[in-house]
Amino acid sequence: MSTLHSLPTYSLAVLRARLAAAAIPAGRHGSVAFGDPRVDAHLPPGGLALGALHEVAAEGIEAETGALTAAFAAALLARLLTRVGEARPVIWIARRADLYPPGLAAYGLDPARLLLVQSGSDALTLGAAETALRDGAAASVVAETGAFPRLAGRRLTLAAEAGGSTGLVLRRWPHGRKAAGAGRAEGSAATRWRIATVPSLPEGHAPGAPRWQVTLTHARGGRPGEWTMTADKGEDDAPYALRVVAGLADAAGGTSQRRRA
Amino acid sequence: MRGQRRLVAVCPQAEQAGLTPGMPLAQARALCPTLDPVPADPEGDRAALARLAAWCERYTPLAVADPPDGVVLDITGCAHLLGGEAALAADLQARLERAGLAARIAVAGSAAAAWALALARPGVLPPGEEAAALGPLPLALLRLDPRTVAGLRRLGVRTVAELARLPRGEITARFGAAPLLRLDQVLGAAGEAIVWPQAATPWSERQDFAEPIGTPESLAAALGVLAGRLCARLATARQGGRRFVARFRRVDGDAPAIAVATALPVRDAAWLTRLLTAQLETVDPGFGVEAVTLAAAATAPLAPRQSRLGDLAQPAEERLAMTLDRLGGRLGPEAVWRPAPVASHVPERSLRRAAPLAPPPDWLTGPPRPVRLLRRPEPISAVAPIPDDPPLLFRWRGTLHRVRAASGPERIAAEWWRRPEPAGEREEADLVRDYYRVEDGAGARFWLFRTGRNAGAATARWFLHGLFG
Repeated sequence: MSTLHSLPTYSLAVLRARLAAAAIPAGRHGSVAFGDPRVDAHLPPGGLALGALHEVAAEGIEAETGALTAAFAAALLARLLTRVGEARPVIWIARRADLYPPGLAAYGLDPARLLLVQSGSDALTLGAAETALRDGAAASVVAETGAFPRLAGRRLTLAAEAGGSTGLVLRRWPHGRKAAGAGRAEGSAATRWRIATVPSLPEGHAPGAPRWQVTLTHARGGRPGEWTMTADKGEDDAPYALRVVAGLADAAGGTSQRRRA
Repeated sequence: MRGQRRLVAVCPQAEQAGLTPGMPLAQARALCPTLDPVPADPEGDRAALARLAAWCERYTPLAVADPPDGVVLDITGCAHLLGGEAALAADLQARLERAGLAARIAVAGSAAAAWALALARPGVLPPGEEAAALGPLPLALLRLDPRTVAGLRRLGVRTVAELARLPRGEITARFGAAPLLRLDQVLGAAGEAIVWPQAATPWSERQDFAEPIGTPESLAAALGVLAGRLCARLATARQGGRRFVARFRRVDGDAPAIAVATALPVRDAAWLTRLLTAQLETVDPGFGVEAVTLAAAATAPLAPRQSRLGDLAQPAEERLAMTLDRLGGRLGPEAVWRPAPVASHVPERSLRRAAPLAPPPDWLTGPPRPVRLLRRPEPISAVAPIPDDPPLLFRWRGTLHRVRAASGPERIAAEWWRRPEPAGEREEADLVRDYYRVEDGAGARFWLFRTGRNAGAATARWFLHGLFG
């Protein structure tokens, strides 16, 4: 802000005009719907905006293992990659090479569309993600990072807009290394999601289909929300697909979306 | 005698005092009480010689160290750049002297002849005078082993010319093929295979500078010029480079290099320049760079279709290749890969890293697998009172998890044929893993396995191998 004060020659009107000129039309690259109006209504383009940046985080042990965020990302990417005319791959950049493609396949992400990149640090991850997003040669670029400074978020957003690739930032910290308050939202992503596990409905003694509490903590131009989702096989035994089980709460105050499952 | 310390090399003053290489140290001290011996450093000598050979690439791309104390240069077609062979030799001699190096330089039609002349009579040998110039030289200069030289001497053969006069069949019958091969090499009648450190590539460009340059901007500009020239030549030959090496010849003789590898053949100068300059920060220009060379170390045919990368019209694969090259340039080419399945039952061996633009492999669907697989299974302490059942409780990384639901076991047998040594009793137990998919009270899901069940429940060990989403 201090830089603005140091530029007294700019009137507020001039700045507003410049902002308006610089503003990128929302949803220029389209969107991919969740297919459930209870979720899509919260997102301004009627779904997950493409050519934009989305941030996914998890709590507790999952912030270190990265399993929940990876599974959620795989479910989102499955929808994104099966759009008509989308032939580009996914570039997944991470410090740790522990991603297991056969596991992602269960959520509908075709491992044959996956390219993996190993980086040495969070900073390198973010830099590589920016490069890949700006080129637009991938349908989506996934970056696993603990640190996610505001500036990096801004740069990734611009790169995603320019290239037309969809950026996913998965927050993940090394074991025991997550600083207090490090998970706070600080990036400038179009949407921010927080995922937590919910006990499944066991099938006998075996675990049932995974269930997640999905919180949309921030949606640019939309409104936050919270749902219980399940990733289960459809009737035709297709791969897991995201499905809303219950809208737990609606930050807009609506109580219309009570459990229905 | 073992352990005796001997001289390896002597300086001119020591030579005048009567010291010679190979002399025992004690004898040398007796002859020259002020002797100041320095421990021999063969490794350091070899490295220095290699650096010297690399520096000699200023004259020709074909320069190689010839240990222990020689450097071979192939100056075919290069000498005219410095005004002829004699001028080149004089220039080299002068520069070495300025650097404090004593050298004996000979130019001849073959490496063997030059080697012999460098020791016997340094200078330039005009073509066709090999037999006359080399005939009187002693046999020791043919690089034969001493026993052969001694054997020939017993026959009264002392010089190259005398050896050449003997019947060839009889020499071979008595001394093997070596003497005649050496003789033919020195007279230019037989070739000599020399392994040059950098394969000669026709795809090489070089820029010299009157004044040494050192700023990143000037180095980047030089790379741009070289890339433009190289790519223009590649275009006329319908070739594209897969691997490029830029070398920066510093005034102090060192030559740091940067290398880039591309996923697809490339000949776009702007693109190549971008790839190279991205790594420029790793180059220390020292006191200045007097020449920059850029070579395509590997090339492949590239149709003249689309040379302007960066266009939206270009094929998707080329755009992807560009992105992958850029990522490879930032993080190292081996950091970018495509996961591919391996036909192995053992989960940690079921993945391999394929080239990023390799054709996508077929993935077979199987039983449920975790989204994260630990590189190495982590031991956990588990409470599993019933031998064949999943655990009720387990502790991983200091946190206790209560198992709420579990499925399994899925038995995965290790590949015993991979074991190098016969499996003992303990390994026998590890050959079989029983995997369980468990969910804890909070809904987190883990992939655990147990080994050692066959040896009794008391020795069963539990591991955590992966995490489900």
